[in-house]
Amino acid sequence: MNTTYLFLELRRSLRSPRFMIFTVGFPVIFYLLFSSMYANSDPDAKTVLMAGMAGFGGLTACVSTGTRIAVERSLGWQRQLRLTPLSPSGYMIAKAICGMVVALGPILLVDVIGLATGVSLNPAQWLQVVLGTWVALIPFAVLGVLIGQVATGDSVQAIGSATFMLLSIGGGLWFPPEQMPGWLRDIAHVLPSYWYGGIGRDVVMHDIDAGTTVLVLVAWTVGLGLVVMRRFRADTARV
Amino acid sequence: MNATPPGAAVGIDGLRKHFGDVRAVDGIDLVIAPGEVVALLGPNGAGKSTTVDMLLGLSKPDSGSVTVFGQAPRDAVRSGTIGAMLQDGALLPDATVGETIALVAALYAKPLPVAKALDRAGVADLVGRRCGKLSGGQRQRVRFALALVSDPDVLVLDEPTVAMDVETRRQFWRAMREYTSTGRTVLFATHYLEEAEEFADRVVLMRAGKVAADGSVAQIRATVSGRTITAVVPGAEVGALRVLPGVRDAEVRAGRITLACVDSDAALRALLTQFPLASDIEITAVGLEDAFLALTAQESA
Repeated sequence: MNTTYLFLELRRSLRSPRFMIFTVGFPVIFYLLFSSMYANSDPDAKTVLMAGMAGFGGLTACVSTGTRIAVERSLGWQRQLRLTPLSPSGYMIAKAICGMVVALGPILLVDVIGLATGVSLNPAQWLQVVLGTWVALIPFAVLGVLIGQVATGDSVQAIGSATFMLLSIGGGLWFPPEQMPGWLRDIAHVLPSYWYGGIGRDVVMHDIDAGTTVLVLVAWTVGLGLVVMRRFRADTARV
Repeated sequence: MNATPPGAAVGIDGLRKHFGDVRAVDGIDLVIAPGEVVALLGPNGAGKSTTVDMLLGLSKPDSGSVTVFGQAPRDAVRSGTIGAMLQDGALLPDATVGETIALVAALYAKPLPVAKALDRAGVADLVGRRCGKLSGGQRQRVRFALALVSDPDVLVLDEPTVAMDVETRRQFWRAMREYTSTGRTVLFATHYLEEAEEFADRVVLMRAGKVAADGSVAQIRATVSGRTITAVVPGAEVGALRVLPGVRDAEVRAGRITLACVDSDAALRALLTQFPLASDIEITAVGLEDAFLALTAQESA
């Protein structure tokens, strides 16, 4: 992938107010708010909250990729790019990579603030919370691309926001799954975000099933990837 | 079978494309030599944009072939051999002009330096401006810079000056002239006849998906120039009028005939001989605009 191109894409992402508010602002504010409200004297709850909000920010960054794709498509920018050597698939891969790189921002920021506000983990646990969470974002990066393919410029804000909120709450990033009603917990298990969030929660809960987690996330990646490719072929055949 | 001679900048051979029942492009053959500046004229729906889309590999022909310096359109786009400025291409409102050009330049193996592309398109002073804050004419010139950034040998422009005011349009064509003086090939679609007249070596007129006329501006004018005779001729039939000497086309409407003539003197003599009752006769010169309309009008009856 072309680094100049990627760099310029990144710069544009970082400049957008939406990115600053939803992807960076909300996770940080909610972490500070919730941890002072009901996790002040409970280091474990604070850790879970930190991991959850970092995960929320990362997930939002990846899903928001879709917003940008749909908006750029409705503008006609993708048509402009079709007059360049960049292939439509290259464009989407660049967007997905961009989403992944941008996602590092809220993950690192929330975790650093967590560290500063008393979250204490050993290096291996930090690695799991930061790197594990980040790598597990891959299916959500693919999901972002899919949203960009199917949504229109008008609908994508609503679709994107609904997706990252439902995935975050349903997957236990806002409230630990243990606090969910039973029926919601059953639904949560089907969501990729439940397993994604589990990677961070595990440093406190010690309940991760590594094999299942990897299997579920890979399955989602492959499944979503196939839909993206199918959709992509239909799109290019039409024009 | 491909009839395109080797070395042609653009070779279009038996090109066809339909959308449902509409034959948007209905059998086009066209060879453009390197260095030619060709204007593509025609009314809306004549198939200009569809042809341009296929030339750029944005859409696939139903049959026939398109080559750009021997390459398939998509390959020519990828290698930067062909550059284009289309009507509906957009810019990112949140990116600056400089960023936009740099972004697209980064996609090519051997791009022009960004400053040079900006300079050639006459937008060097806009480098730090957000694209969302540009006027229509400025936007067009930035898109021209985007088309130039790959340093293409063939440049395709679809209605390039449509959003420009008179002064901007002049600047644009000045920049274009500089570009074409280096021996590049240009194909531009336009509605402005005077642009075709002034800047094109050659005019290709399209009508209903076909090439209606193809030649230098002077040749095109010659085929359609001449005069129009109108008169009231009782009982005249189109068939009889069409075969009069000097008449290219004839029309009868509400008892009044209209003869498009290549030689109005001969036509008038013959008309008066065969239809002595002809009255209320007027002879008018055909402007380029009328000529254009005559050439591109749908075949009547």
